[in-house]
Amino acid sequence: MAFGIGGAVGTALSPLPWKLTDDLSIWTQNWPWTPVPPHGEVTQVDSVCTLCPGGCGISVRKVEDRVVKIEGMPGHPVNDGGICLLGASGAQLLYGPSRIEGPLKRVGRRGDGRWQPVSWKAAVAEVAGKLGVLRSGGEPHTLGCLLRSDRGTVPGLFSRLLTVFGSPNLMRMPSIQDTYELTLYQMQGALALPGFDVDNTDFLLSFGSGYIQGWGSPVHMFRAHSRWRNRGGRVVQVEPRLSISAAKADDWLAIKPGTEAALAMGLSHVIITESLYDRDFIENRCRGFESWVDAEGRIQPGFKQRVLNTYTPAKVSEITGIAAADVVRLARDFAKAARPLAICGRGRGRVPGDLGAFMAVHALNALCGSIQRAGGVWAVPEPDYINWFQPEMDKVAATGMQQSRLDGAGGPQYPLARYLTSYLAEIINAGKGYPLKALLVAGDNPAYTLPAGGNVRKALDSIPFIVSFSSFMDETTRMADLVLPNHIYLERLEDVPLAQGFSRPLVQLCKPVTAPQFNTRHSGDVVIDIARALGGSVATAFPWKSYADCLKETLGGNFQKLMRQVYMVGRGTGAPGHNAAFETASGKFEFTNPEFKIRPDYEPIEAEGDAASFPLVLVPYDSMRLASGFVADSPFMVKAVDDTVLKGRDILVEINPQTARKYGLADGAIALLRTPRGKARVKIYHFEGLMPGLVAMPTGLGHSAYDEYIGGKGVNFNRLIGPVQDPVSGLDAAWGIRAKLTRV
Amino acid sequence: MNSGLIPEGVKRCPTWKFALGVAIAGAVLLWGVYAMLLCWFKGLNQTNMNNAYGFALWIWADLAVIALGGGAFFTGFLRYIVGKDELKHIINYAVLIGFICYSSALLILAIDVGQPLRSWFIFWHANVHSMLTEVAFCLSCYFGVLTIEYLPLVLENRKIDQVPFFHHLGHNMHHIMAVFAATGAFLSFFHQGSLGGVSGVLFARPFGFREGVLIWPWTFFLFTWSAAACGPCFTISITKLTEKVTGKKLVKDNVVELLAKISGWMLTGYIIAKIADTIYWAAVTAPSKGFRMMDFYSHNSFYGLWILILEVGICGVLPAAILITDRGRRNQKTLVTAVVLASLGVCLNRWVMVLQMLAVPVLPFENWVLYIPSWQEVATTVLPVAYGVILIMVSYRYLPVFPQEPELNPVKS
Amino acid sequence: MEAVNRRNRAKKYGMVIDLDKCTGCGSCTVACMAENNIPFRKDESDKLLSIAWLHVYKLTNGKPFPHTDVCYLPRPCMHCEGHHGHSPCVSVCPATATDYDEETGIVSQIYTRCFGCRYCMAACPYHVRLFNWWDPVWPDGMEKMLNPDVSVRMRGVVEKCSFCYHRHQRAMEKAYLEGRRELEEHEYQTACTQACPAGAITFGDLNNPKHAVYRLKKSPRAFRLLERLGTRPKVYYLSSREWVRQAGDNHLQQEKQKI
Ligand SMILES: Nc1nc2c(c(=O)[nH]1)N[C@H]1C(S)=C(S)[C@@H](COP(=O)(O)OP(=O)(O)OC[C@H]3O[C@@H](n4cnc5c(=O)[nH]c(N)nc54)[C@H](O)[C@@H]3O)O[C@H]1N2
Ligand SMILES: Nc1nc2c(c(=O)[nH]1)N[C@H]1C(S)=C(S)[C@@H](COP(=O)(O)OP(=O)(O)OC[C@H]3O[C@@H](n4cnc5c(=O)[nH]c(N)nc54)[C@H](O)[C@@H]3O)O[C@H]1N2
Ligand code: SF4
Ligand code: SF4
Ligand code: SF4
Ligand code: SF4
Ligand code: SF4
Ligand SMILES: [Mo]
Repeated sequence: MAFGIGGAVGTALSPLPWKLTDDLSIWTQNWPWTPVPPHGEVTQVDSVCTLCPGGCGISVRKVEDRVVKIEGMPGHPVNDGGICLLGASGAQLLYGPSRIEGPLKRVGRRGDGRWQPVSWKAAVAEVAGKLGVLRSGGEPHTLGCLLRSDRGTVPGLFSRLLTVFGSPNLMRMPSIQDTYELTLYQMQGALALPGFDVDNTDFLLSFGSGYIQGWGSPVHMFRAHSRWRNRGGRVVQVEPRLSISAAKADDWLAIKPGTEAALAMGLSHVIITESLYDRDFIENRCRGFESWVDAEGRIQPGFKQRVLNTYTPAKVSEITGIAAADVVRLARDFAKAARPLAICGRGRGRVPGDLGAFMAVHALNALCGSIQRAGGVWAVPEPDYINWFQPEMDKVAATGMQQSRLDGAGGPQYPLARYLTSYLAEIINAGKGYPLKALLVAGDNPAYTLPAGGNVRKALDSIPFIVSFSSFMDETTRMADLVLPNHIYLERLEDVPLAQGFSRPLVQLCKPVTAPQFNTRHSGDVVIDIARALGGSVATAFPWKSYADCLKETLGGNFQKLMRQVYMVGRGTGAPGHNAAFETASGKFEFTNPEFKIRPDYEPIEAEGDAASFPLVLVPYDSMRLASGFVADSPFMVKAVDDTVLKGRDILVEINPQTARKYGLADGAIALLRTPRGKARVKIYHFEGLMPGLVAMPTGLGHSAYDEYIGGKGVNFNRLIGPVQDPVSGLDAAWGIRAKLTRV
Repeated sequence: MNSGLIPEGVKRCPTWKFALGVAIAGAVLLWGVYAMLLCWFKGLNQTNMNNAYGFALWIWADLAVIALGGGAFFTGFLRYIVGKDELKHIINYAVLIGFICYSSALLILAIDVGQPLRSWFIFWHANVHSMLTEVAFCLSCYFGVLTIEYLPLVLENRKIDQVPFFHHLGHNMHHIMAVFAATGAFLSFFHQGSLGGVSGVLFARPFGFREGVLIWPWTFFLFTWSAAACGPCFTISITKLTEKVTGKKLVKDNVVELLAKISGWMLTGYIIAKIADTIYWAAVTAPSKGFRMMDFYSHNSFYGLWILILEVGICGVLPAAILITDRGRRNQKTLVTAVVLASLGVCLNRWVMVLQMLAVPVLPFENWVLYIPSWQEVATTVLPVAYGVILIMVSYRYLPVFPQEPELNPVKS
Repeated sequence: MEAVNRRNRAKKYGMVIDLDKCTGCGSCTVACMAENNIPFRKDESDKLLSIAWLHVYKLTNGKPFPHTDVCYLPRPCMHCEGHHGHSPCVSVCPATATDYDEETGIVSQIYTRCFGCRYCMAACPYHVRLFNWWDPVWPDGMEKMLNPDVSVRMRGVVEKCSFCYHRHQRAMEKAYLEGRRELEEHEYQTACTQACPAGAITFGDLNNPKHAVYRLKKSPRAFRLLERLGTRPKVYYLSSREWVRQAGDNHLQQEKQKI
């Protein structure tokens, strides 16, 4: 016993316990499972972010070959050092767990997620084999191709492949670009992109555009907003919900959803009756303002006539729910501003919208002379650097190209539309036209981003062969038969031909800042490989050794310049001042283009569903903290999402407390949200800033694919809404859908 | 072998009954140990604490057991310093309860910190400005003192006492016990106070913050005072509970009544000071920071004004009134009610000063945050209770804890 | 003499955040996460357990439709000066694991010394301090994005915004190598300031008249959070909206009616 006690005392007095205590604490500071980022040479590489069409310049901080941080590129004309949270989390996409590590071939049933890695050679051979059958069977037009964008060399290669293959079915993802392009074509005769000179405007009137929620080039719009704050520019937001854009605006006008065009027409009414319009522009550079006599001798009412007859402030107030006095005041303020600018396209602009409304807003700009002028709207010419030789088409291709497009765009019913991608699924499911036998999907995730998600999946299911070029295991890729993963933007060389909404032509070069992480391959190279493997006239249309060669040849002398400085800004169309000739037949701005007889107007687009079974209306809202496009959110972004948007796996839908009380929906209660298109479990969030009678749901959640950091959270809004066709253009103009909320 | 260990002149229950009791308490203890190991190996994500509730059930339990353990220092103070000699008949038990309370507090702290293996940094990198540093030093020292005070009792065990070395050690320790009692009283005064200081110095937490003298906020003194007043009440409560369980009278009424009387007057003084403090805080301190008193109470379902009424009125004024009257002390029912209420009151005070303080939003755009402990937190908090029960059972069985027991319960042979 | 000079050189780094410009986008939060190796978990929707050094609060004026108003308020650590550097959190830390640096005014945090008692969290009224409830874990391969300038924290310790102190260190190193003792305003900027797409955050030395924050903090639109508690925060906010400025502190009823 004494020995034991002595031993204990001895040990206690020896340095041993102290040493052990110290060692243990040091151990807690060096836990082997806590990563230690290695040091190394630090470099900064400039490139372009392509995660959205914003076109921001980025500056990537690297430690050895590791991408550690992505920052905005100082001095860049779009973002001047700023960056959005998606751009800032690019490294998470690069290293994230949803990356596809190499070409995959489906085994087992579609969507089961069982894959077999294959070699690039075998994968390309497989595509060529499957596509070759279509050509030899004389039905090359049954090949479809879905792209995010149709501009730049990579979409150019896909487009070229389809042409020489013999299919007219190249489709671009829908957005307000569709509608704005038609607007510019109708009213200015221009094949152009819309550009908004937000740097120089002093009064922004936004018809529901989320000008700081991702509309246009997101960071560029943020910077413009701050400039207005510095210099006293004014912003008015017209929208039924107190969005961030509404909250940041000087005035928020809560309008009945879907009636924005009526307000635009009403504002024109006041501007015309009070003679506040730009007399020089209207009298010398416009047509169709006054009534005219057409070729058949009939009197055609001019814009002025129609506005004066129909859209009195009182009438507009009745339609929109905005007080007549507010309509008058807003019209005066807008017209009296030095450089007013009206913009439209709801939220982030993913749904095209109705053409009449866009033209009404464009007419409002025209009234104030804000066309092709500092602070106004510009028709930015299409990039013109791609001048490839005309490919030769064999007979199969020529016959195939004569087929009408499956989506009906450019057809007899909708001659104006270039793409009607939103309807593809409905057409396929209804068995109209001919069946698609193969589909290439690149740069987007239609199974997630297209409306009526259920229909889209069903349609995809009916296509026997789907090839995905995605870098990520997204919803569409999960339904593919073959996956040919692209490098992500940080690993690849590619031209970036536009920055959405930017008022000057801008060409940029995205370059590899780090070596590819996985066995991925540039889609440009893969298209060339496929063409080669198809042989014949298809192969001869692609003479380039590699995509890089193709790009260098295409850009010519500008390639090296872009490698050095990332971007090149074009001079735009002519000098400031609206003296650029319009490309219409008259050479003037057309309020109503006589060729098409489409007019700026308010034609109510009803929300789908009957009011009796669906007493509420569901509308979407966009938030910068969630990406709703081809790229899913990053783990950092999901982390930054408020708990008033996502809680656990539940999405929160906003509802005015007054409406909520009516339906007995307590704050935080779980409810079942039904629309004619689907149903979903949601959590109720009382929000005073939403118009009574509406339910608002954030977009960008509800991914069923991806990893556990971003998938399986909330509801995909696109699953609950379907397209509603604008009778004039054929474009999807849905702004909301009727809905019902029941407690569960 | 058992009978050889049991003190002379007392009767104990059969071994099987004792073993059963220990086994039941032991099962609870094991449950707590399991939860403790979960917390150590998996981390504090096992709790329902969060970034708004960095202090929760455990810190409350710490503050509460230390306040309740205050019976040891204050009884010691009365016995050795003031010279209330009768209290020697209850001092052993007071010391034992104190020992249990303080060792429990240290154990809970060792689970509560995020990096237990580094907790000695509190001594090594001590920050003299921190109340927690003061708490850590005094608490550890006082725990040493309690161990020294408890040791002679252990040495009085019949078997141990047979070893001459231990016999002499125990004998000599008894002689110098007054020195330790004085040291203990001093240390206790400070660490009870610094525990009060913990919330009192948080000048950016208007609910807890109190003005004061020099570096000490009023809560410093209030905590010491309340521990001195309520600690002995807890000693009496446990004594009464032990008597109930054993079915024997263990301490004479005059001893209990003396302690109760002193407690009663301490409690009276304390509760007057507490009311004054509350009024000053509500009328001056809080408004100077932009708060009405009712901002701290009215906005949620749990922390209503009732909690203040319960703490100060029902568990403060009422027991004080009972204990300062002869009739109140003589009547066993009112006596027990008063000491239990007083013990509850001090616990409630500690709860409010820890948990309500964190629940009250300070930023105007934040909301109240309420918290419910996880089972792991509850289990680890019950662990010391089980451990205390076992230690009391063992001590009572084998040590002469109650000197008056043989006299009050003569063994018929 | 030397002592006087040193004191004159003392910096008081601080921030001015223009809430009229801030859009609540959260870029600052994410840039901070990327810069400072902040971990992420599969479910981050319990904001009381989530670690973000810069949280963007959503404030509402509480009025019914259509008079509702919303304002976003990004909240980094205030780097409180307190009384003589006794910021609420620094004076309470028993292990001196957090410190007020008299020369920069930055409140530091030594993760390897912190033993996780969380007293500092109780002391901070801004909910700036966050505890590592879990071991930080990065999915396979994702630890490649970790920044070697900032140490990864272990489970069981408290962390908070450091004003990107490592950037100060890097800038100072560079300046020393070039034989300078002073930094230009642009040489030391925090990650959130740099990222903010709205340019809403301005960072610099509040004591230096040449820095933008020196002028901005005197704006009639300026206010600080919880000024009446005596924390003396070094983060200022600008808002032209009265209700927002009101929301920065607690006011008694009679004080509110005055405005
Ligand atoms: N237990 C434990 N202790 C440690 C460590 C550990 O791992 N475990 N790590 C050790 C290591 S590696 C270090 S570097 C230290 C860091 O620990 P300390 O040096 O004690 O403290 P830090 O907060 O890291 O930063 C240094 C202090 O100086 C201030 N400071 C910052 N820049 C300057 C400057 O330019 N000039 C001056 N004069 N002051 C400046 C900071 O605000 C801070 O107060 O901690 C050491 N201590
Ligand atoms: N935000 C913020 N960032 C900081 C600082 C700050 O105060 N705040 N302080 C800066 C300072 S002063 C310093 S020194 C750095 C410290 O940053 P680091 O250099 O990252 O070092 P520590 O912070 O000490 O982190 C200890 C890590 O080192 C690893 N480690 C320890 N011993 C060994 C070893 O023998 N081998 C290997 N391979 N790994 C080992 C452990 O895994 C542990 O995770 O952080 C800097 N960055
Ligand atoms: S706005 Fe678009 S382009 Fe710019 S950084 Fe964000 S994702 Fe990239
Ligand atoms: S990044 Fe800028 S605009 Fe966005 S939330 Fe932060 S401070 Fe506000
Ligand atoms: S804000 Fe909080 S953590 Fe930061 S210095 Fe102030 S008290 Fe400390
Ligand atoms: S948690 Fe860490 S930093 Fe905070 S008080 Fe405790 S030891 Fe200090
Ligand atoms: S200053 Fe640095 S550490 Fe603090 S919030 Fe900003 S980025 Fe994060
Ligand atoms: Mo260091």
